[in-house]
Amino acid sequence: MPLNSIYRFRLSLIPGGLLSILLLFLAFAIFFILFSNIDNKDFFSSIITSRIFDLVRFTVYQALLSTLFSILLGTVLAWALTHQNSFKSRSYLIALLSSSLILPTLIVVFGIITVLGQNGWLNRALLYLFDYSFENSIYGLSGILIAHVYLNASFVARSLLHVFESIPKERYKLAKSLNFSTIQRFRYIEFPAIKLSLRSISSTIFLLCFTSFAIVLTLGGSPSYNTLEVAIYEAIKIDFDIPLALKLAFIQLSITIVLVFLSANFKVGISDIKTSTQKIPWLETKKLRILQISIILFSSILFILPLVSILIDGLGANFIKIFSDIVFIESFITSLIIASISSILTVLFALLISDTRRNFNINHRIKKTKFRSFINMIIAFSGNIYLAIPSLILGLGFFLLSLKFEAPLSYWAFGSVLCANILMSLPFALSILYPPMANVAQRYDKLSFSLNLKGSKRWLYCEWPYIKSSVLYVFALSFCLSLGDLGVIALFGSDEISTLPWYLYNLMGSYQTKDAAGVALILLILTLSVFIFLPRIFTRKKDV
Amino acid sequence: MIKLLKYLTCFSLLITLLQAEENKPTLVVYTYDSFAASWGPAPKVKEAFEKTCNCNLKFVSTSSSITALRKIQLEGSNTKADVLLGLDKSSAGIARNTNLFINHNIDTSKLDLPVKWKDKEFLPYDYGYFAFVYDSLKTKKVPKSFDELLLMPKNFKIIIQDPRSSTPGLGLLLWIKKIYGENADAYWKELSPRILTVTKGWSEAYGLFLKGEADMVLSYTTSPAYHIIAENKTNYKTANFKEGHYGQVEVSGILKSSKQKKLAKQFLEFTNSETFADIIPTTNWLYPVVTTKKGLPKEFSSLEPASKMLLLEDDDIEKNRKKYQNEWLNAIK
Repeated sequence: MPLNSIYRFRLSLIPGGLLSILLLFLAFAIFFILFSNIDNKDFFSSIITSRIFDLVRFTVYQALLSTLFSILLGTVLAWALTHQNSFKSRSYLIALLSSSLILPTLIVVFGIITVLGQNGWLNRALLYLFDYSFENSIYGLSGILIAHVYLNASFVARSLLHVFESIPKERYKLAKSLNFSTIQRFRYIEFPAIKLSLRSISSTIFLLCFTSFAIVLTLGGSPSYNTLEVAIYEAIKIDFDIPLALKLAFIQLSITIVLVFLSANFKVGISDIKTSTQKIPWLETKKLRILQISIILFSSILFILPLVSILIDGLGANFIKIFSDIVFIESFITSLIIASISSILTVLFALLISDTRRNFNINHRIKKTKFRSFINMIIAFSGNIYLAIPSLILGLGFFLLSLKFEAPLSYWAFGSVLCANILMSLPFALSILYPPMANVAQRYDKLSFSLNLKGSKRWLYCEWPYIKSSVLYVFALSFCLSLGDLGVIALFGSDEISTLPWYLYNLMGSYQTKDAAGVALILLILTLSVFIFLPRIFTRKKDV
Repeated sequence: MIKLLKYLTCFSLLITLLQAEENKPTLVVYTYDSFAASWGPAPKVKEAFEKTCNCNLKFVSTSSSITALRKIQLEGSNTKADVLLGLDKSSAGIARNTNLFINHNIDTSKLDLPVKWKDKEFLPYDYGYFAFVYDSLKTKKVPKSFDELLLMPKNFKIIIQDPRSSTPGLGLLLWIKKIYGENADAYWKELSPRILTVTKGWSEAYGLFLKGEADMVLSYTTSPAYHIIAENKTNYKTANFKEGHYGQVEVSGILKSSKQKKLAKQFLEFTNSETFADIIPTTNWLYPVVTTKKGLPKEFSSLEPASKMLLLEDDDIEKNRKKYQNEWLNAIK
């Protein structure tokens, strides 16, 4: 049987392929149901004012800047962490890096304000030491950028660290023997390795900043700093102008769709399989070490201080009151259940989709044709499209679907929250899982075919050792993403289901800021423990 | 076997109990989240009303009252809502235009409101005044009017909410419109440098204020009562503006599609009862619409009383809301 016989991998085509079709169908269904709810005439006659063009311009502008700074800081940090890989609290720092992306944005915003705000720690320290304080430093474009960089740079660092670490150590050896300078080393060894990931990560971040909402409103300072997402909110909620909202959503989609394609990382470098845990055979010069350590120190302070402020604020809460509130207990349990189910499903879906997609990216499986690239693109697109669909549109779509297909409301509420959470974390999951999976196939297909390693055995012996760390990371990431997501509940609310972030926002909405800070702390602890303990549980099992 | 029988009897008992519950009609009230929260008025209102009505009362909460209205509109004739509770008078016009509500036919002449109530569809259940809250330990000198606000030192900052997404935000927009009329956007232009930030909702603004980010935040005259009663803090006060304060009157209405209009009317009457009025001050932190034997909690007497309630005509608001908002957007840029 030839290597590229479709018979060998026919089983990997169906589940992921079906999932992709399902995802595309769902996106289509959501827009279809919204369309069927409005008059076609309204759609074409609704007006796009000049204000909306301004919004688009500003949205693109701030998203570009945010992405640029996030990538710069994140890359530098990942680079420093790669070369300083033996200090003590490194694993905790990496866990902390993951937590900022997944806390509810409002908590993060408040954390940043505690540190950098008018009455923040920095200003108070400056006032105390030098009798000087920044005025309006954080509100405005700078505030938006700081918050976006804070949220995303850590994600960049965390994801690139994986890529940096998987550069084969032999290359470093070779470079060392060729007497490369640090700059040459970065240019010829490290940059080619991270290039592809950089492209997909930066387009993902651009999309996240493009659709940013709470940050832009709270820290923007003025309504001239608004995003398209805000205009959609206004159209749906305040004016109830669904045709306009749809039109705006289409504008947003058409701008972002290019990036969705880019973020889907079509080509994958072959080299990023984690080869070994051995250290890079390269002793840094003293100057370089100082530079790297100060980068790590600076970023640690930047990333940790707002979290510390959440801790300090949270300790002031009345925990007895919180824990004795039955609604809290219910929200807590619901959140855990939803996060567990959605993270398991996200991992599963991401594995299946990646398994199908790699068929269309590897020459020895299917010959390279235009058709193959097209399918590859479609599958990648299906997993990423939800980055570009405004969550309000998604929520509205689910709500209209629930009206059309009657079922007990609690099922719909639970189902749509679950669904939204999976859709939200799937792009991240795919961007993390796909590269190693494609590489495993590239490298070990021939070997496993010749050993007749198939099905579950192949997964267990060939794939799992290589993708284990990525799977765990995806699991933790999607668990925490859905834990911290206010998501579709925020739109039409429901008393059938309450989650922790929803509970938190309720507390904030009725003067109980202190207890809200307590709930934020609980969320933070949950998130951190998932990131710190999950990898440990698995490594321990291995020891036994 | 005996155990199994026991379980079975328990189970059947439970079923009968549940059925007895089901025989009672259920009144569904759509409202906003902080009303329905476990610390809000809803649990107490439910308990008190169910004692008198031989029915079940069910609150369905959404993130805001306007969202609740949109939910009803989307659900169309299938909506389960009998009553919509929580709209502000300023946005009641939006609800009126949907033609989804019927007249309440309830006598409003005895209501204890600063204004005479004429609305036939929407019935008030509590009210308050918008005001700027400040921390008297931090801010010593506060403005006594909108004009004085402009004369405050350069670093005197306020936090407000976006009128497109928040009730107090809309309140301030109308407040300034009421006072300055045609010159409102000129006023906003001058006020603009004093605004630290414009938030999406009340929660974010108030949270920022409590963090000490600004001197004043747009909230209610009754906000200090929460800090006195729940936290024993007397340092939060409101700035009394001599022009008067714009009013928020929260209303409820009966849906045309409701199959239990009589019960719904009974509920609306209940929101004007003394029992309801005694629940409101310390759960929704606003004034009730009737005076009660028990009276307001004594802490309310220490609040700055608003000199006058300002309101614009409903028609004016509904016709010009969008225009005012756009004026505001252009002025504050």
